[in-house]
Amino acid sequence: MDRPVGAALRRRVSGARLARALRRARTAGPAALAERFALPLLAAVTALLLALLFYYPIATVFVDAVVEGDRVTFGPLAEVLTDEFYLVRVLGFTAYQALLSTALSVALGLPGAWVLARFEFRGRETLRSVTMVPFVVPSVLVAAAFYATFGANGTLNAGLSALGLPELDLLPSLGAILVAHAFYNAPLVTRVVAAAWESVDAGAVETARSLGASPRRAFRDVVVPQLLPAVLTGATLTFVFTFATFAIPLALGGSQYATIEVFIYAARRQLEYGRAASLAVLETGVSLSLMAVYLRYERAQAAERRDTRGLIRRSLWPESWTRERALRRLAIAGYAVVVALVFVAPLASMIYASVSVDGRLTLDAYRFLLERQATGADFQVKPFPAIVNSLLFGAATLALALPLGVAMGVLTTRRFRGRWLVDALSMAPLAVSGIVVGLGLLRGLVFGVEAFGYRFTVTGAVAIVAAHAVGAYPFVVRTVAPPLDRLDRALVESARALGASRARTVLDVELPLVWPGIVAGAAFAFAISIGEFDATVILAEGGGTDTMPVAVERFIGRRLGPATAMGTVLLAVTAASFVVIERVGGEFRG
Amino acid sequence: MTDANGRSRRRFLRAVGAAGVAGLAGCSAEPVAEETTSEPTDAGGTAEPTAGTTTGEPTESMADTLVVATYPPFVNAPSTSPGAWLKEEFESEFDATLVYQTPDSELNYYIERAVQGVDFEADVYVGLDTGQLIDVDSQRGEGQFTGPLFAEAGDIAGGDAIKDGLRFDPQSRAVPFDTGYVSLVWNATMDGGEFAAPETFEDLTAAEFGDDLIAQNPTTSTTGEAFMLHTIDAFGTNGYLDYWERLQDNGITVLGNWSDSYSAYLNEEAPMIVSYSTDQVFASTEGQDLDKHQIRFLNDQGYANPEGMARFADSDAPRLARRFMEFMLRPEIQAGIAQRNVAFPAIADAPLPEDYAQYAKEPPESVTFTYDELEANLGTWTDQWARRFAGG
Repeated sequence: MDRPVGAALRRRVSGARLARALRRARTAGPAALAERFALPLLAAVTALLLALLFYYPIATVFVDAVVEGDRVTFGPLAEVLTDEFYLVRVLGFTAYQALLSTALSVALGLPGAWVLARFEFRGRETLRSVTMVPFVVPSVLVAAAFYATFGANGTLNAGLSALGLPELDLLPSLGAILVAHAFYNAPLVTRVVAAAWESVDAGAVETARSLGASPRRAFRDVVVPQLLPAVLTGATLTFVFTFATFAIPLALGGSQYATIEVFIYAARRQLEYGRAASLAVLETGVSLSLMAVYLRYERAQAAERRDTRGLIRRSLWPESWTRERALRRLAIAGYAVVVALVFVAPLASMIYASVSVDGRLTLDAYRFLLERQATGADFQVKPFPAIVNSLLFGAATLALALPLGVAMGVLTTRRFRGRWLVDALSMAPLAVSGIVVGLGLLRGLVFGVEAFGYRFTVTGAVAIVAAHAVGAYPFVVRTVAPPLDRLDRALVESARALGASRARTVLDVELPLVWPGIVAGAAFAFAISIGEFDATVILAEGGGTDTMPVAVERFIGRRLGPATAMGTVLLAVTAASFVVIERVGGEFRG
Repeated sequence: MTDANGRSRRRFLRAVGAAGVAGLAGCSAEPVAEETTSEPTDAGGTAEPTAGTTTGEPTESMADTLVVATYPPFVNAPSTSPGAWLKEEFESEFDATLVYQTPDSELNYYIERAVQGVDFEADVYVGLDTGQLIDVDSQRGEGQFTGPLFAEAGDIAGGDAIKDGLRFDPQSRAVPFDTGYVSLVWNATMDGGEFAAPETFEDLTAAEFGDDLIAQNPTTSTTGEAFMLHTIDAFGTNGYLDYWERLQDNGITVLGNWSDSYSAYLNEEAPMIVSYSTDQVFASTEGQDLDKHQIRFLNDQGYANPEGMARFADSDAPRLARRFMEFMLRPEIQAGIAQRNVAFPAIADAPLPEDYAQYAKEPPESVTFTYDELEANLGTWTDQWARRFAGG
């Protein structure tokens, strides 16, 4: 029996009613009591955690936008909002490049989802795991790798001139920004859409076909509507991420292409907190509105779906060739070339940079890492502790973000009024940039809160985990909510009818059914934790809390070797971690 | 499935349990001290004068730990950095422990803490420039600090050896310990070995140098700011924006920070970059081709960026901090810092090795703005630049 929790939440719990409910519950036993209050309790705990770890810290930053010298004046905010330069030029350009970046990411990500979801080949699972890798590559390395690949003297031009083709000068340019954004976000689109594609009901397609629809028509009328929400999820997230982008335009676009985040960073650096906060409010406002609009759309789209049987994957190498099959394989081959150029070439260039100086091969960079590990002073960043820290923070992020995300997923799949608002607020961490989150946590938690004559503070490490978990849990929500939504209520009800307790049903029926979503969410949470830089660096005080991306940044100097070597280690450690996460998740699938 | 489920439940509980313990261990609550005003009976514990710099000395016992705050590359560069060597030298002579703090947001880290009224441990800051000092003072001007962040250096031994023109703090809190010159670095192997950098700012905008220069954004980078200030010195506050427009028309590339732009330069994106005139020091020790690391002083000038050190006003170890500053100014230490930090010493008679001068180039004439000029204008100049340039 699944209680209509929406109704429970909507109901105003007056004292008398509460007493009545308690009385009723007591006569029914403690299990029923727990069941009745489990969800509201879950909601309360989740809300409290979010308020503590996110909303309070962020509020401390945003206060700067409206308070001047202890008086609420809205002065700094008004100043930015009435400035045509910020409102038109900066905001306009930021939105423009985010739109183009989103289009490119979707265009590049969709074929990947098609290949992953519809074809069977060796290494498919592994390929799926490594789609998370771009997420963790520090932007400094992406910049260096893009210059090494697409720059005037890069690999691409070397290849072109070897073929006798004219050389291209691609950097810096708006195009470079867009391709780098696609590098980060197309895998996200691929992953989200592939997951949706895999859960398309084969029965529905077969029904359409048996009713006389052509394959094309069946695809358009049955498959596409089921993919659309996932495509829009990917597109919305990409837009929000590229709207709040900072390091990539700064490194690859040159300063003509400065985004709003670049201005936030510069204002913060010049200690113009009022301006930084006002711009952050503007940025967050746009991202959050977009997210809210999208979530309303998604809710309108969501239809009750039953347990489904997935489409059968075709072999990548067909047993017999037809013209159409050959054309499709040709298209996949063409796509593979593009993928190699956009994803593999920059990563390969980075790895090559770690083993070469001026064109000759050397392991000096790795020797530097070993030396730094062996003889580095306490106050210097060493590779091994950075790896350990990254893994620990990643694990702690999982421990916090998974329950938080699953709880929020459960809550947001119930029907109640104003759900889209709860949804939007719970997704808000994605709309706030790492710099603002880091600054908020620094001022809100690390500096501490004064109450009852005490100053409550948390250490940098805890604040870092909080920042990572807050940034990561919306991904868990996004991957867990759809399967939860689609869960067959009949299964739950049968389990209860056969005498299983509510908790037992959750553990034995519901959890296994949504497990693939939880695993995907875990991979996202881990990737975000491993790759996070902005908030980490604000919160890490060099007190033994440096992570791998921080180490990469510290190892940059007048040569790229040490940083790229550390970057290669980062790639290796994370790629291995994702494969482990997916394998661990695999035990639930079969 | 049940078995696997059970295993995962235990794993889940373990993970949650561990996070709970870590959470508890990472939080603390301490009684809030009485609001500290200028009263000498503050909660700091160690009795020390708040304003005077030298008067407290006879009664104060020598503290045994000195916390030195600095920017990360000072202790942590992948090549050479003076941090470890300085710590060793200092500790071998003084009966004290030197501890480094290297927050990534550099001096802003301490300014933010001071503004929020949160204690910090650092005694000395090493590596601040005029712009940062102005940041400190502009915050205090708004009355958010209860006192000045830095104390006056006072009369420190070796201070009179500092070269003329390097002292940048009118209130004598910051003491210069080294200086760098921002200049062009260029690659003579480009254009088939034909490339040669222009001699003047004017020539830089000539068509033949189109797309040839990489610079940095003044709002996010120190070298970028120095180069912009150099153009203001050359063209005046009314002319520099027009000059930048000409640079932009000529295809200048402005990237976010020094490391992004230097990696673009190393990838031979362009034959010239705004960088430091000590560029060859590192290239030579690495055995790199010096033709790729030529130095050009436009208009025979380099923009001087002296680095200073200053003692935090509420340091628990003011006497040790002063000893440290004096130690930093000693000729042999000055030579050591210069070589390891790849910069010029702040004093004239530092015993540098002969080949150092061969690789570290000093401009015929150095240009720099004073504290007062920058305090009045720096914010406006950078904002104007950002608006004009980013609008393009």
